[in-house]
Amino acid sequence: MSVISGSGSSGGVAELGEGFDAGFEAEGQLPPGVGPWRLAWRRLRRNRVAMGFGLLFLLIVILCLLAPVYSHDIAHIGPDVNNITGTVRVGGKVEDVVSLTGIPIGPTWTSHYFFGADDNGRDVAVRLLYGGRTSLEIGAVATLITMIIGTLLGLISGYFRGFADGLLSRANDVVWAFPAVLLGITIGTVLNIHGIGPLHGTNALVPAIVIGFVYIPYVFRPVRGQVLTLRERDFVDAARQQGLSDWRIMMSEILPNLSSTIVVFVPLILANAILLEAGLTYLGAGVQPPNASWGTMISDGINNDIPSAFHNVLIPGIMLVLAVMSINIFGDGLRDALDPRSKIRVAR
Amino acid sequence: MKRYVRPWAGALLAASAALAIAACGSSSSSSASSSSSSAAASSSASSSSAPAASGGTVTMLMGTAPQSLDPGLDYTTQGSEVNWLVYTGLTTYAHANGTAGTQLIPGLCTALPVISDGGKTYTCTLRKGLVFSNGKPVVASDFTYTVERAVKIPWGGSGSFITPVIAGAAQYAAGKAKTISGITTNDATGKITIHLTAPYGPFDNVLAFPSLGLIPAGFPMKVEPTSPPPGDGPYMVTNIVPNQSFSVVRNPRWAAQNIPGIPDGHVNINVKISPNIQANALAVLNNSADIFDWADTIPGSLLSQIQSQAANRFRMVNLGGSTYYIFLNVTEKPFSSQLAREAVVTGLNQDAMSRLGSGTLQPACFFLPPDVPGHPNAPCPYGTPGLGNLAKAKQLVKESGMEGQPVTVWSETRSPRQQWMTYYTQFLNSIGFHATQKVIADATYFTTIGESKALHPQTGFADWNQDFPNPVDFYGVLLDGHAILPQNNENFGQVNDPYINAQVAKLGQVPTTELSKVASQWAALDEYVARKAYVAVFGYQKFPEFTSDRINYGALVFQPIYGWDLSSFELK
Amino acid sequence: MVRFIVRRLLVMIGLLIVISMFTFAMFVLVLPNGNPAALLAGRLATPAEVHLIDVRYGFNQPIYIQYVDTMKNIFTGQAYSYQSGFNVLSEIRAGMPATLSLAIGAGIIWLATSILFGTIAAVKAGKYADRVLTVLSMIGVSMPPFFFGAVLIYYVAYKLNIIPIGGYVPLTQSVGGWFGHLIAPWITLSILFIGFYSRVLRSSILDSINEDYVRTARAKGLSERQVLIRHSLRNSLIPIFSLWGLDFAQVIGGGAILTETVFNLHGVGELARDSIGRLDTITLMAIVILTGIAVVVIGALVDVLVAFLDPRIRLQA
Repeated sequence: MSVISGSGSSGGVAELGEGFDAGFEAEGQLPPGVGPWRLAWRRLRRNRVAMGFGLLFLLIVILCLLAPVYSHDIAHIGPDVNNITGTVRVGGKVEDVVSLTGIPIGPTWTSHYFFGADDNGRDVAVRLLYGGRTSLEIGAVATLITMIIGTLLGLISGYFRGFADGLLSRANDVVWAFPAVLLGITIGTVLNIHGIGPLHGTNALVPAIVIGFVYIPYVFRPVRGQVLTLRERDFVDAARQQGLSDWRIMMSEILPNLSSTIVVFVPLILANAILLEAGLTYLGAGVQPPNASWGTMISDGINNDIPSAFHNVLIPGIMLVLAVMSINIFGDGLRDALDPRSKIRVAR
Repeated sequence: MKRYVRPWAGALLAASAALAIAACGSSSSSSASSSSSSAAASSSASSSSAPAASGGTVTMLMGTAPQSLDPGLDYTTQGSEVNWLVYTGLTTYAHANGTAGTQLIPGLCTALPVISDGGKTYTCTLRKGLVFSNGKPVVASDFTYTVERAVKIPWGGSGSFITPVIAGAAQYAAGKAKTISGITTNDATGKITIHLTAPYGPFDNVLAFPSLGLIPAGFPMKVEPTSPPPGDGPYMVTNIVPNQSFSVVRNPRWAAQNIPGIPDGHVNINVKISPNIQANALAVLNNSADIFDWADTIPGSLLSQIQSQAANRFRMVNLGGSTYYIFLNVTEKPFSSQLAREAVVTGLNQDAMSRLGSGTLQPACFFLPPDVPGHPNAPCPYGTPGLGNLAKAKQLVKESGMEGQPVTVWSETRSPRQQWMTYYTQFLNSIGFHATQKVIADATYFTTIGESKALHPQTGFADWNQDFPNPVDFYGVLLDGHAILPQNNENFGQVNDPYINAQVAKLGQVPTTELSKVASQWAALDEYVARKAYVAVFGYQKFPEFTSDRINYGALVFQPIYGWDLSSFELK
Repeated sequence: MVRFIVRRLLVMIGLLIVISMFTFAMFVLVLPNGNPAALLAGRLATPAEVHLIDVRYGFNQPIYIQYVDTMKNIFTGQAYSYQSGFNVLSEIRAGMPATLSLAIGAGIIWLATSILFGTIAAVKAGKYADRVLTVLSMIGVSMPPFFFGAVLIYYVAYKLNIIPIGGYVPLTQSVGGWFGHLIAPWITLSILFIGFYSRVLRSSILDSINEDYVRTARAKGLSERQVLIRHSLRNSLIPIFSLWGLDFAQVIGGGAILTETVFNLHGVGELARDSIGRLDTITLMAIVILTGIAVVVIGALVDVLVAFLDPRIRLQA
């Protein structure tokens, strides 16, 4: 479902016309104006909650990027090493990593198996970080696909109108009407078996492409709507009269005016992409084993480890929620900062 | 200019939908009996006349649904477990535990078929007074129709056990004949004569398949999953709700037919399809359900709890007829090298495999499982299966010259099979290969790795649960060079060894009743296969016999071929 | 008005057709090992048997004929799943009670709760209660439903034994059982929507505060409370109902696939997931079409309702 929120102001009273005030400080003299981006940044900085969560997300990303360091220097074990018959020392006692009846050990809170082990005796903490890379990568690639293609198509559709618009809008409606999860599963299942072009089915980029495709309508519509309005504005007319080509106009006149919309969409799509990846993987159409992602860890945990080893569900799940929540809160703050009175139209 | 949004809009929607639920709820429960097939009348009639009396009703939880309750299609243990009591064939198995349960007894025939013509002709006569559960009398020509329908639908085993075996079946399957010429029947005398293309030792076992259990001629030749054909057996299946549940109720017409060796049932059984195995185990432990399907795995987390709390109604048994193994494609690198194959067998850690299987695997090295005659008594050629010798395995890989070869490991999705193959992939990497895992949806797994020509899979998971306790069931399908097919292949390793082919051809003609005479020769063949490391066996599966305490556990029969003998269930 | 409805319906029917073609093409054309004949023939079939199946089911016919036949079968109720042989419509019907129960119960819960939370958050904007509700909403929209469901199952079902572990009990069989099995799925499915809807409502109300009609109402001397309920809320609810209708339709059509799977509700969503695992094209197509129809019908109903209630929208169309 669409999680594109139409929030207006969040916590705090909107400060209108900050530049307005500053501009009339000194009499008879126009002080140096502050551009809208600087203003937005200042507003954002003041939103402590959003900044806090933004930093949290950054921290998560850095931790995940440092996965090899953790794996090599702290846990001394790779993410794929199946240590089923091994043992680990916990508080003086020697315990089986995986018991004789197949139950993996829970969090040891030591450098080995900090968050415990999974069914195959692999270190959950190590896999959490490596899996995070996959999840974040997929989210990022998907977002890129959605934003680039969605914006481009929205631009073309809104600017040229007519036949191109009709075609693209109808195509958009088709993808839109398909429930995201079902669409994702349909394409995902097929492509996971078949692959796309040079990419094999098990390549982690396949789900990224699927997810990216699914979310295009969410960006296409608002962009198209805005372009429809913008193309009627005077500066576009002026550019046309100057003899600029259509493409020039789109790129250098209209696109910059879309930038705040685009910027605001990025965290929204990213958060949803990460969530969708987890969902698709749980249903078997996302990341394929043996690749690890937060989605595969949660899904394996749910299928195999309730109730014996619930940490395999809880830990990747909490990590996922934290990451997505951080993006959402930061994204909210970003939206408020860019235009405190903005209302991203709910795209239906 | 405002309009008031009236919240009743939502309420109206909800109310109408609520009516829809109630309507749907009542109609779906009666949908099975309102289907328009000709068998519907009989199933609803019999369900109203089913005796509520002596037994009572118990609940069984199945983690996986049978492929179909129509015997013409089904080829799964979940289906056979029910259908062998619904569709009695010309022969059937004794209702007994252990080896006694592997003995064939006459089913609808008066005696086991007379074998003549050097093993190519089977003759038997139907008993008198047989009727199907819908009251229609059983006649000899029903057998021909049953076999033809199994070929037509098609039944999953027809390609192995009917088409190449019964004379004229191949022509019928290809659409070139209107009937199977090799079967002749006489309705007046009840005599049935079957001609085979060549002597086939286990043919008596083939006749015992539930899919060859007699159904009335004229029943539609397409799958009828919600109203399957009537059969002649102690039970009938009714009230089928797709993907959700069905009932196995006593056939009131059975007892009067007085067939020795096939007792009447005691209770009716409501079967619920419930994929959550943990929940199922807990339900049986708490006595809110009665029977845990033996084909499901008791989750390791509950094992100790069940063992302590339910010791008097729980047991792990070795059905003795199933082998879990890893196939090795001998036509391609790296497993075309004997040394590479030995490396796998030497290094694989069967203790690890067992733990992944919740401790229910018995370590193994021989292809034939313990209860099949021909299982060798000799020691394993590459050391006692246990922790696996990694160092030796690495050395063998180096010697084979196959170090660094890329290998794709094929795997099913469900646990623990996926986990087994994950471990195996990692193991292959640790001994010097370049292995990656490929996970396939369960429903399509075997068909996928059966694409020997298109995909030529190198290695992966395989298992085999005996169709009958005759080694030719294993060898003839899984290791015989003649059995290699470009599609739907089961000889995944594409093993084409002339010695094996010759032995299978020779020993496969020996009837099941005379197996003991050639058991030692089968054992010699099995030891040969183990030495050549054509497959990497990693265990024999043990299965749970787990019920609630309402059931009289001591009276239960756990049939070695079919698992639960449902007719042995009774309340205390 | 009528033209508006008719046009919408025609467009949506066109969409349904394209969606069904797209699904069909995906599974039949793109899937290389998806030859259903080999799957149907079973584990030990000969090439001759596979060919017979090809002929019998029409797999050797051109794609467009297969498509037309499949669609015809689905709409006349004659479609049969290749794998299990079940009539597809009867399979879907068997799953409807669970899906409908889940959808309606959750729908009511999330609508009521969202309105409550959204209103409180708007009234107390900027204050502590608002912040708490915002955080809760954020968690709600960031939580994958199957994870939350698993957490509920583990802590409330396994550990505390208050609710059953999963499965569905029909209303006709036992009201208590029906309710007990559904309460956790209802909550799980609602969390996602509550988080989202309450924020939409909140912003909608806050925006309306600056509108003229609210200022007029205040000027007339109405109390804040009256202004809120009689004026702001009523208009702010329009987009909410519109959204609700669409999301509800999607849930009915199997959009609650994740929740149904985690709780083993045997509904249409779980059926969709199972069909995909089995590569059961026909069942999947039927479900996709069903979802499409549900979305179309309910979406159109809701649009009509909203247009009827708010003439501004009518005039724009």
